This record gives sequence, C-alpha cells and structure tokens, in this order.
Amino acid sequence: MSTITAYKCTNCGQVMYPHHLRCLNCNEREFEEIEPEGKAKLLTYTIINELPWGIDERGRILGVVEFENGVRALGLIKADKVKLGMKLSASMEPVRVIGGEEVLGLTYS
Amino acid sequence: MRPVVIAGVGMIPFERRDEDSLVDMLSMAGLEAMDDAGIGEHPIDAVYVGNMASGLFNRQVSVASSVVDRLNLMPAAADRVENGPASGGSAVKNGFLAVASGYCDAVLVIGGEKMREVIGPRATDVVACMTHPLAEYIYGVTLPGLAGMFAQLYMEKYGITREHLALVSIKNQDNGILNPNAHIHMKITMEGILTHPQSHINNPVVAEPLHLYDCCPVSDGAAAVLLTTEELAASLGKAAVEIAGVAQATDTHTLQERSDPTDLKAVTIASQKAFSMAGMEPGDIDVAELHDAFTILEIAESEHAGFFAKGEAASAIKAGETRIGGKLPINPSGGLKARGHPVGATGVAQIVELVWQLRGEAGERQVEGAANGFSLNFGGFGNNVLAFVLRRR
Amino acid sequence: MDMELEAYLRPPESEMAPYPAKVITLATGKKMVVREVTRDTVPELLEAVMPTLFIPRDYYDIVGARLYAELLGWYRYRVKDEFCIIGQVDGFLVGIVNSRMYSPELGISLHTLAIERGMRIGAHLFAAKMEHHIEYLDQEEVLITAESPIGFRRWMIEYNLEKRDGQHELGGATPYALTRELYFENKDRLVAGERPVPAELLEIAEREIKVASEDDIREKILGARRRQRR
Repeated sequence: MSTITAYKCTNCGQVMYPHHLRCLNCNEREFEEIEPEGKAKLLTYTIINELPWGIDERGRILGVVEFENGVRALGLIKADKVKLGMKLSASMEPVRVIGGEEVLGLTYS
Repeated sequence: MRPVVIAGVGMIPFERRDEDSLVDMLSMAGLEAMDDAGIGEHPIDAVYVGNMASGLFNRQVSVASSVVDRLNLMPAAADRVENGPASGGSAVKNGFLAVASGYCDAVLVIGGEKMREVIGPRATDVVACMTHPLAEYIYGVTLPGLAGMFAQLYMEKYGITREHLALVSIKNQDNGILNPNAHIHMKITMEGILTHPQSHINNPVVAEPLHLYDCCPVSDGAAAVLLTTEELAASLGKAAVEIAGVAQATDTHTLQERSDPTDLKAVTIASQKAFSMAGMEPGDIDVAELHDAFTILEIAESEHAGFFAKGEAASAIKAGETRIGGKLPINPSGGLKARGHPVGATGVAQIVELVWQLRGEAGERQVEGAANGFSLNFGGFGNNVLAFVLRRR
Repeated sequence: MDMELEAYLRPPESEMAPYPAKVITLATGKKMVVREVTRDTVPELLEAVMPTLFIPRDYYDIVGARLYAELLGWYRYRVKDEFCIIGQVDGFLVGIVNSRMYSPELGISLHTLAIERGMRIGAHLFAAKMEHHIEYLDQEEVLITAESPIGFRRWMIEYNLEKRDGQHELGGATPYALTRELYFENKDRLVAGERPVPAELLEIAEREIKVASEDDIREKILGARRRQRR
C-alpha cells in the first residue's frame, strides 16, 4: 500500500477521508477513489508523551495535514522542527504494532 | 411528554476502588438514589446503566442485567447505554424519555466505570478505542492527543494562554477539596504548576500544549439518579428538581473532517435545543457542570454552550467569574479534573451535583439561591454531546 | 562492640562526597527539602517504612521490606557504600530513596519509597538520587531495576534507559542503565531543585524528621475513604 484511499463524491465533488457510505455534503452514494495529491500543509499537531500500551516511546508527534487536492488526514510526523502551516511530504511507514503485526500508516516528513 | 422529576440521587466517592467490583459500585450508587428518593417498595420499571468499556476494563458485559440482579429489581427492564464519555448523559436521556413518554413511572439511571483495574497505558488504549480505527487509532493517538491538537488551534484563535488553563485547573481543584466525593483533594498553586522556573518538572507535557494538570485523572466510581413522574415524586416529598431540557447532537467522527476543527458544533446544537426545550437562555443558568476532561474544554464548552461569546471565557475566568460565588459558577463539584472521571459515571454525576445545588444541599460548595442548572456531557471528542437543563420547581 | 570482629564483618567503606541539600517547589506550592541523611536517622526512617510492609497495593510491601533491610543493613555497617536521601515537607518525611556505590564508576540504585502520593515525590527523589550518583559521586553509570510497573514507566521509559546483560543485585532482575550521557540529556526535564536551601527551611528539616502515624501513612498510600455526605 503506497498511500491511503480517499473518496470524492461523483455528484458534488466533496473530498472525504475516511470512508462514508453517504456524501457528507449531498448524501449521494457514489464515490471516485482518489489519492492525496501534492504537498501536505500542517493544520495542527501535538506531541504525545503518554502513549497507549504497546507503544514504548515518548514524544510522538502526530498532526493533521491537508493535501493540495483537499484530502485531510492524521499521520505521524517525522521532523525536527514542527510549525503550523509547514509543508510536508507523505509516505506509508510502519506506525504501530497491533496484535503482533506491524501496521503501516501515513508518515509526514 | 410529561414532566420528569429527579426524585433521588446517589453517588459513591470517586477514587481508586480496588475492593469494589464494577457491578457493586453501580449497585451501591443505585441503592443510594433509591433510598434518597424513599422509593420503598414502589416498583422501578426500568434501569439504565451508562458505562463505556466494562468489556475492555473488566471482562464483563451486560452489566445492566447484573445490576438488576444485584439490587433485586427484577423484573425491571434493563439496558446498558454506551456513548463513550457521554454514556452517563445518554443513560439519563434514555431514562428521561421512558418517563416523559408515559411508558415508565420510575426509572433508575446509574453511571459508572471501573478503570483502575488495568494499568495506565492500557486505560489510555481502551479510551483511544473511541477514535477512528483506520484514520486515527493506528497512529497511537490518545484522547489527550486529540485535545492537544484542538487546543493548539483554539488557543491560537482566541488568545488563550497556559495561565488561563491553569486558572481552570486551580479553581476545580479548590472546589474538589470541598467535595467529599471527589477523587482529588489537593490544592495546587500557579507557582507549583506554571510560574516556577522548574514547574515543568511537576507539570510535564502529556500532549502538547496540554500538561499533566490540564488533564483529568483516571478514576473508579458510580453515580445514580431516580427519575419519576411529578405525582410519584410529590407523594415521596421529593419533587424539588425537574429535567426541563435535554438534547443531544453529533458531529464527524474524526477531528480532520470537521470543516472548522475549533467549532464544537455538537455542543452548540445540543445546548441550544436543551435551552429551547426548557424555555430558557444561558443567562438564566445559575450553576453549570461542564465536561472538563481537559482544561481547554471547560473554556471551549462554556463559549459554545452560550455562556460567553467566543473568545470571552478566558477573561471571565481570570476575573474569577466562574468560581463558587462568582457570576456563573462552573464545576462547583470540582469538575472532571478534581471530582474525577470514571467515564460512564460522569454524565450522571454532573446531574447529581446540580440536584444537590438546586436543593440547597451542596454544603460548602453551595451556589447561593441556585434555581436553574446546566450540564454538558461530551462524548468521543465532541462528536456526540448531551446537554441538560435542570430547574428547581 | 568488639571492633576487632567488626573489622572482619564490615565491608570496607569508601570516601563518599556529600550530597548538598536542595529545595523543590511542589505542584501544591509546598517546599520539599531534599537532603542526604546519616546512619543515626535510620531508626526514625524504619518507623515510616514499617507500615508499608503490609501494603501489597502497588508493590509497597516488597519495596518496603527490601528498603527496611537495606536501611537496617546500612545502620549496622553491613552494606558497602550505601547512601540515603530523604524528602521532607514542613519537617514531615514524605519519601526515601537509597542507593549504593558498587565501585567508583558504577552505582546500584536500590529503592524509592513515596509516602505522600500525587505530587511526583517519588519522581523528584529518584532524580535526586541520580543527581548524586552522576554529579556529586562522579560515577559513570547507575544500574536500575523496578519492582512495580509504575517504576518501570517512570524510569525505564522516561529516561530511555539502556538495557544491560546480567543481573541486578535486587533479586537478579534485568538491569537498566542510566549513563552520564542519558542523565545530562534528561536533566533539565526531570531534575528539579534549588540550592542553597533557605536557612529556616533547612533548620526545620534537620531539627526533626517528623514521621506520620501508622494510620496516617496507610491512608496517604491507600487514599482516604470519605464517608461524609455532600
């Protein structure tokens, strides 16, 4: 998996991630599968020191970005300096081990 | 719909309660509410139990059925109600509807959670199960993490400082000291948590920009209310407080899909509908119990519920308006910060506090002459919210 | 005492630099005096530790039992190069930490006991212990283990300690090491304290180590059960 699958309503063009059965804007039910495109702009972030069981680290940086084509997604941030509005690139990397298996997720750097 | 009166309330102290099982805690609180109402042998038609995660914390499910058995309330109808941190509020709503609709005359609503059965990071993980499995959970996001991302934007937008957040925390801890049922009885100072050059060692970052003292503790506990018709309450001599308004609203599951992540739409809508149903406005409220799982939420909710214009709550807090004795006391119980937050219990505990306030039974926490109260129970991260307006009859 | 016999039985003692007392402002605004104590205070300390032997919650019983033995051993000159640092608020004992020097370079962290909870007293005193090992005793590395999961999270994860092979002298548990490098990396974030301690505060602390009653200690550790209404 090289990236996430986002959705664009074929009726009104609303971009959504994650998946909904009905468009958040017009309630129609047909979607085009799209991928996030372009640079990701950082909308907000946090640095988490108290992580859930199974993640034995501290200082994990998570943030919500908006891609140039309107897809918004939460992901792991790997950057030394983090500033609201900064532009990042996305890739899929291991983000967590769940049930003994490595899970891939959006990673921004 | 017919009026619904809160004839009895009960609460067991919130803290770490290793010796009590979940069902015992729920039952003890329920029994207190029954005794407070003096319901005696009058049948209770239904029991609603607000609880988020008994399956994950305690390896038990269907706890409402267990409670009915523990309290010998058979053959009452019984359901467990789950709505994340608003499980208590949703349980009260369901109980309200049962009585208001004419279907039931007496309904026992209990909220409770036993979180300390698991170690801290496991509790963090259980709570994180509320988040979206693919778009949020896999990243290890936590509720403090979501609150941190929200706080980043809200604080910047409205010029809220860490000092404002600290004032909320200090006020709630002060109030908690006056509450025998509160989890935390500890006075904290601005110097100790913020202004001393080494305060960051006492008050480390949990999820930037939120620190330890911005976050509520992990607690065990239960609270209960007995809802009845006016006639039944009057016959018991317990007709003081009614639920004048109740409303619920939802928002997107993920933070990222909110068009404006600083806009807590569900809080605004639920509050407006509850006020409208009660025929009241925010200005009519004498005392409020808000959902301060994180200090930033007390500020944001007080604005979205209509008590302050957006961006004005911080200065009101600084001026002391939200302290007991101020213009609008918020969280005289100590709030989630000091009273504690056994997740399913909170929505019910907020209402129990309001009942004590409106009856004039809140002891040292009493808001003088309180006649109208408001509570807000914030489910998920603001994606499922309940608002209540209570009135002294 | 037969000092000729003692010469056989006592482990040889090294010269150990003293730990300068410091004061920490807690979240409650109260001031905790953190100071090294000498052997003669052990009987008072044992009074405070004794009730914990019967509190299984959060592994207080094993920490208390082992700390009791280590303090008594130190008192009776049967432990090599041990030191003990305590925390006091208004003269009242709120926590005890102890450690020993295995060699000039290597320290062995022993125990951390917090009598007052909820104010990060254990965390502050553990940090003070590490400060002594690294900055005043000038050691290279300290081996640490944890009997409780709280300890594990507070130390192994907070300080990002390095796992070592071999066995820690506390029951042969897996040792984790705090190196000089790790200490200084984390110092600003984890080690509090101001020096010198204001004279009046130090005088109160040194005058008497006030130990709460057994009931009070149990209540502080287990939490009070409030029975009043409203």
